[in-house]
Amino acid sequence: MREFDVVVIGGGLLGCFAARNLCRRKLHIALIEAREDVCTGVSRANTAIVYPGYDHKPGSLKAEMTVRANTRFAELCTELDVPFSRCGSLMLSCGERADAVLREKYRNGLSMAVPGLRLLSGEEARELEPSLAPGVRSALYAPTAGTVNPWELGIAASENAAANGADLFLNTRVLGVRKTAEGYRIETDREVFACRAVLNCAGLYADKVQETLFPSEVHIVPDGADYLILDRVTDNRPAHIIQYEPEDGGKGFNAVPTVEGSLLLGPSERAGEVDFAVSEQGLAFVRERAEFVLPGLDLGGTIRSFAAVRPNPRREDGSSIGSFVIEHPAPGFWSMIGIKTPGLTCADELGRFAAEQAAAFLNAGPDESFDPRRRGIRKARGMSWEQRAAVIRSDPDYGEVVCCCEDITKAEVLEAVRRGAVTLDGIKRRTGACMGRCQGSRCQQKLLALLARELGIPESAVTKDGAGSEVLGGRPHED
Amino acid sequence: MKTELLIVGAGAAGIAAALAAWEAGCRDILLVDRRERPGGILPQCLHEGFGLAAYGAELTGPAYADRITERLAQTGVRLALGTEVLAVRGDKTAVLSGRGGLSEWRFERLILASGCRERSIGSLPVAGTRPAGIFTAGQAQEMMNLRGQDVGREVLILGSGDLGLIMARQLVLAGKHVIAVIEQGPRCGGMARNYRRCIEPYQIPLRCRTTVSALHGERRLRGVTLRNLDSGAEELLPCDTLVTALGLIPERELVRGLGDPDWLSYVGNCHRVHDLADSAAAEAEAIGTRVGGELAV
Repeated sequence: MREFDVVVIGGGLLGCFAARNLCRRKLHIALIEAREDVCTGVSRANTAIVYPGYDHKPGSLKAEMTVRANTRFAELCTELDVPFSRCGSLMLSCGERADAVLREKYRNGLSMAVPGLRLLSGEEARELEPSLAPGVRSALYAPTAGTVNPWELGIAASENAAANGADLFLNTRVLGVRKTAEGYRIETDREVFACRAVLNCAGLYADKVQETLFPSEVHIVPDGADYLILDRVTDNRPAHIIQYEPEDGGKGFNAVPTVEGSLLLGPSERAGEVDFAVSEQGLAFVRERAEFVLPGLDLGGTIRSFAAVRPNPRREDGSSIGSFVIEHPAPGFWSMIGIKTPGLTCADELGRFAAEQAAAFLNAGPDESFDPRRRGIRKARGMSWEQRAAVIRSDPDYGEVVCCCEDITKAEVLEAVRRGAVTLDGIKRRTGACMGRCQGSRCQQKLLALLARELGIPESAVTKDGAGSEVLGGRPHED
Repeated sequence: MKTELLIVGAGAAGIAAALAAWEAGCRDILLVDRRERPGGILPQCLHEGFGLAAYGAELTGPAYADRITERLAQTGVRLALGTEVLAVRGDKTAVLSGRGGLSEWRFERLILASGCRERSIGSLPVAGTRPAGIFTAGQAQEMMNLRGQDVGREVLILGSGDLGLIMARQLVLAGKHVIAVIEQGPRCGGMARNYRRCIEPYQIPLRCRTTVSALHGERRLRGVTLRNLDSGAEELLPCDTLVTALGLIPERELVRGLGDPDWLSYVGNCHRVHDLADSAAAEAEAIGTRVGGELAV
């Protein structure tokens, strides 16, 4: 049995940031993740927006956290060495109803002191973003909105937590939590953990984990959403995040110029699908919205579509819950159940909030040795030619471009493996390799060979994203 | 560093252009390729059918690559393999990266022979999961023929272009079950010669007016939904591997945004997609002769 002060269940964005923030205190911390890598569930797919904070009821936890998180976001990304683009956002209206929605959000934003908000006419909006549809009649401009790569952020937090002493247990699935005299006993499929406090950040399964010990008043009803990604060279790519508030009150739409340079379009919305499966209707919806809002966009530049799963919190009676839910069913036990938008924006704030609760409960003093800084993998792309020449001189692997679409070198891939990538998706999430216009058709086979060699496993054992997703040899024998 | 003629891509077209430019009198040629061996995709094309026009023989891709590489070795063309061209700039300079370092080159003329990339399934509105086991045809070809990597057992091929047909045969010969070749159009997309050689003898079903509308399998591909494009009828087809031959896109990203400068020429598949290496080479030869002649003066 392993003993810790606090066990964090779930290595998604929230779990990684909870662990990171627990490290600010003198605590012995474990982070337990069922999969082979962090950020493989809900965190692996979302809209990647860092919200300005005008979307929520003034004074609510969500509103306050979002505004605070946004204010701190650049600093957070500097600490964790993660690219952050504060590109600003334009929320668009094409009619009276949406005009009113924008005015309300503007007022919300003002009362929450969201900086720089402006209500613009359609003409003013088109001056900022010439590719907008002629039907756009007003817009809410938020210069503080931005975008970040969600998994890059989560991985950075997990690395920072580990560097500050948190123990990371991968491939460890929680089977149940028991109460003991000293605290809690967490049974997993590998070993048993004893701890004094538990932070349940199990994402889609947070209600199930809580229910192994306590009843949960909140249940997760997942829904799926579809997204498209356009190549970086797409004509008329907007420079701002574009958010469309449809006149019919239906599902909104986002176009996000990502930090990688691609354009993310979506989401669609649909209920009751939890297998990350893309729906044809969802893709059609996203395309239709994109064509309406940004008519000059060439959707022929689509390089990928994917689905996200979101953990919607619902009460027993089925009604949905708009606020963040942090359940505290017993001393020393907190569950973050159904954290969705703006969970990415608030990941560090939520992690800090939960960590502070646990630290207060355990009466843990600050750990003066905590270092909030983490260095990212040094990327060749974006370096000056002089810098790039210098890094190649010190490490020839920087001279070897492995992924030609995204300009990712062998040195970056090797470093990703050293930092814990054990799958092709793990390399992709840490380096960006395979994310470009050829979607890995020119480099996946090279990465596969590299990964096998570095891990000391046969190529046939290399997976895309964990056991059962072996890339070579066809269907696994046990099927 | 300086070179009169920079050629990007040492495949059939790039080598043909280099040989022709040398013949025409240009004595300062740098031919670069990201791969570790010359020939572009030729070394992975184990089938015959290369060189009929140029050599009067039906050669395999590697044999054809050997012939042109041997000819190249008899010239003074400098060959830089394992070298990525990171940038080409409007002031006639290029930045090259290799394990030996970064280098900047000033050139007089540039011949782009960078070939094609394959359209990936990501560009299609396909529903379902995103599992392992999906490869482009050229990727599967490289994996099998150059890397000894086994792509799968129960294979469906989407797209009946030449690459799809050639890979169908190769997979059958490798002992795989090729369930069918799926074609969105009304008839086979590849050359009749390839249909006769690669599909008919092995009785591989070719299903036209059909597409893959959804992928299934959480981790590894377990099957696809096929849709008839006329009737809309759908059926579930179990398979563990999908090989896509959805078309080739001329690869010109390197010179995007440079407009149409008089120092830049395109040859081979980055100019237009050729059915045969011979025809790509013939086109490249003509342009290599002209450019080389101008530089020789």
